[in-house]
Amino acid sequence: MSVYFPQKKLPYLLVLPQLIITAIFFLWPAGQAFKQAFYREDAFGLSQTFIGFGNFIDLFQDPLYYKSMGVTMVFSFSVAFFGIAIALWLAVMADRVIRGKMVYQTLLVWPYAVAPALAGVLWWILFDPNIGPIALFLDRIGIHWNHFLNGDQAMILVVIAATWKQISYNFLFFLAGLQAIPRSLIEAAAIDGASPFKRFWDIVFPLLSPTTFFLLVVNLVYAFFDTFGVIDTTTQGGPDGSTNTLVYKVFKDGFIGLDSGGSAAQSIVLMAIVGLMTVVQFRFIERKVQY
Amino acid sequence: MTDLVLKNIGKTYPNGYQAIPSIDLSIEEGEFIVLVGPSGCGKSTLLRMVAGLETITQGDLLIKGNRVNEKEPADRDIAMVFQNYALYPHMTVRANMAYGLKNRGVPKEERDTKVNSVATMLGLEELLDRKPNQLSGGQRQRVAMGRAMVRDPKVFLFDEPLSNLDAKLRVQMRVEIRQLQRKLATTTLYVTHDQVEAMTLADRLVVLNKGKAEQIGTPMELYNKPASTFVAAFIGSPAMNLLDAEMTEVGIKLNESLVLPLSHDYRGKMIWGIRPEHLVASDEQNGDFALQVQAVESLGAETLIHGVLVGSQQTDGSAVPLVVRLSGPHLPDIGSHLWFTAPREDWHLFDANTQQRL
Repeated sequence: MSVYFPQKKLPYLLVLPQLIITAIFFLWPAGQAFKQAFYREDAFGLSQTFIGFGNFIDLFQDPLYYKSMGVTMVFSFSVAFFGIAIALWLAVMADRVIRGKMVYQTLLVWPYAVAPALAGVLWWILFDPNIGPIALFLDRIGIHWNHFLNGDQAMILVVIAATWKQISYNFLFFLAGLQAIPRSLIEAAAIDGASPFKRFWDIVFPLLSPTTFFLLVVNLVYAFFDTFGVIDTTTQGGPDGSTNTLVYKVFKDGFIGLDSGGSAAQSIVLMAIVGLMTVVQFRFIERKVQY
Repeated sequence: MTDLVLKNIGKTYPNGYQAIPSIDLSIEEGEFIVLVGPSGCGKSTLLRMVAGLETITQGDLLIKGNRVNEKEPADRDIAMVFQNYALYPHMTVRANMAYGLKNRGVPKEERDTKVNSVATMLGLEELLDRKPNQLSGGQRQRVAMGRAMVRDPKVFLFDEPLSNLDAKLRVQMRVEIRQLQRKLATTTLYVTHDQVEAMTLADRLVVLNKGKAEQIGTPMELYNKPASTFVAAFIGSPAMNLLDAEMTEVGIKLNESLVLPLSHDYRGKMIWGIRPEHLVASDEQNGDFALQVQAVESLGAETLIHGVLVGSQQTDGSAVPLVVRLSGPHLPDIGSHLWFTAPREDWHLFDANTQQRL
C-alpha cells in the first residue's frame, strides 16, 4: 500500500527523531569504528598512523581470533538452541494448564525484566566454587565445579546465564504462537489417530515454525551481541579465553588492551558476520518455513 | 441394526453448569440424523461428546454395541468435519487426506489408492498437490469431507460444516452431502442451526432446546405435528403463527369477538397455532378473521404478508401479529383489511402452561 502526502516535508519531519537517534548512536560510532579500523593508534590516543588493511591482516593471522570465533559459535548456537527448546517446552506446558494459567505465565516472564549483568551475577553466585549452593551441591554428588579453572564449565555457566535470560522472551512468543493454533486442528489430528507426541511434531511444531525461525534469528543476534554483560560479570572471557566471545574480545582488546585499531577491525568483521547471517537466514531458510 | 446409541447421555461441567441433562437416542445403520437448535442449545457439545472431544459425565454411548465412553477419539472409528474444516495448513490436500491412514499404519500404496478414489468421487484430483490456502471455501469443505471419508469410518460427524460458505454454495454442498451419504450409507450425525438444512438433509431430526431433546422425528412429523411450541416456532420458515387463546365450551376464544368453534375436553389458557402457508384467502362473508396489512414481502413465487389481527389485543395492549404466505404475486395496500380462513386440519393446539401439544 502506498500513501500519498501532499506536503513533501511532513513525512521527513515525522521520521526525523528516529533518524537522529540512528545517526548519533549507530551511524556515527559505526563510521568512527570503520575509520579507526584502518589506523594504528598509540596506547595513549595521541597519534594515529594510517596502515590500510594492516589491522585486518593482523586479525586474520591471529590464532586467538579464530579461537574466539569458535567460542562464539559454540556459545551462540548453544544459547539459541537451549533457549528455544526450553522455552517451547515451557510454553507447551503452560498452554495446557487450566487453573492458575496467568500465575504461571507471569512468573515465567519475570526473568526478562532482569538486566543481563544481574543475571550474570545471580548465576555467578549460585555457581561460585566456594559459596555457591549449586557448586556445593555438584561437589557433593562428585562433580568438582570450578569455572575459574575449567574452561568447559565456564562455558556451561555463561550458556546457562545467557539462556535463562532469553527463555522468557522466547516463551512469550511461543505461547502466543500456540494460542494462535486453532484447537480444532489438534482435535482433528486426535480423531486422525495421532498420539499427543505425534500431534506435537506433525501439527503444532510445523505451525510454530515461523515463530521458531524468528526466534532463532533474534536469539543468535542476542547471543552474538547482547551477552557482554553476562560474560563480564561471570567469567570475563576466561579461563584462558574459553568464554572470550567476539563481542567480549572487542571490548577486551579495545578498552583493556588499548588496541583501538584492532578492536575496530574486529567490530567491522562482527558487523559483517551478523549482516551476512541475517541475510542468509531470511533468504534461504525462511522459504522453507512457509506454509 | 442400531449403530449408535445414546443412553441417558448427560454433560455437567466441573463448575456445575449442566449443558445436557439427559438425552436418549438410537440411530439405525446408515441413518442421517440432524441435531438442530438455536445457538447454545448444546448440539455441538453433544456431537463433541460422541466424537470423544468432550467427556461424558453421565450415561452410556454405544457404537456398534460397544460402550465407548472412555475411548480416545481415534479409537471410536468416527470421522468428523469441523466448522472451520480444520485442514492442516502445512500439508498438501493429499497429505491431509492420508494423515489418518498413515497414523493407523496403512501402507503407502493402499493409502494412495484410497485417497485417489475418494478424490475422484469428490472431484479433487486436480487439487491433490495444493495446500489448503490455495483452495476456495467450497474446495476446502470438500477436502474436509474427503479426509473424513477416506478412512471409511462407522460414523460421520458434521459440526455446522456449511456455515462458512456463501448461500449459493451452501445449497449446492447440501445436495452433495446428501447424495454422498446415500451412496456411502454411513451413519451420520450432523449439527446445524439452520432449519432448512436440517429439514432437507435429515432422515430424522432432533430438535434441541437448552440441552433437552424437544422432539425427535422425521422432518414431516416435526412439520405436521410439532410436539411443543418451541418446535412449532423453530421448524418452518416463516415461523408458525402462535396466538394466545382460551379454550371454552364453544371453542377457541382468540379474543372477545373472535371464537373458532371446536369441541375439546381441555379448558383454560392455550396457544393456537397455524402456519403462514395454511391460511387461505377469503372474503368478508366467509372469512374467519381479518388481517390489517402492515408490510408485504414479494418474493415472486410467493408473497409474505405481515399484519395484525383486526380487533385483537395482547396483554400489553398491542395488536396480535400474524404472517400469511400466499403463492404468486399479491400487492395489497398497506393498512387495508384482508380476510382469511384457517382450515381446521391445519390447527395446532398447545397447552399454555406446559407449551406441549394438546
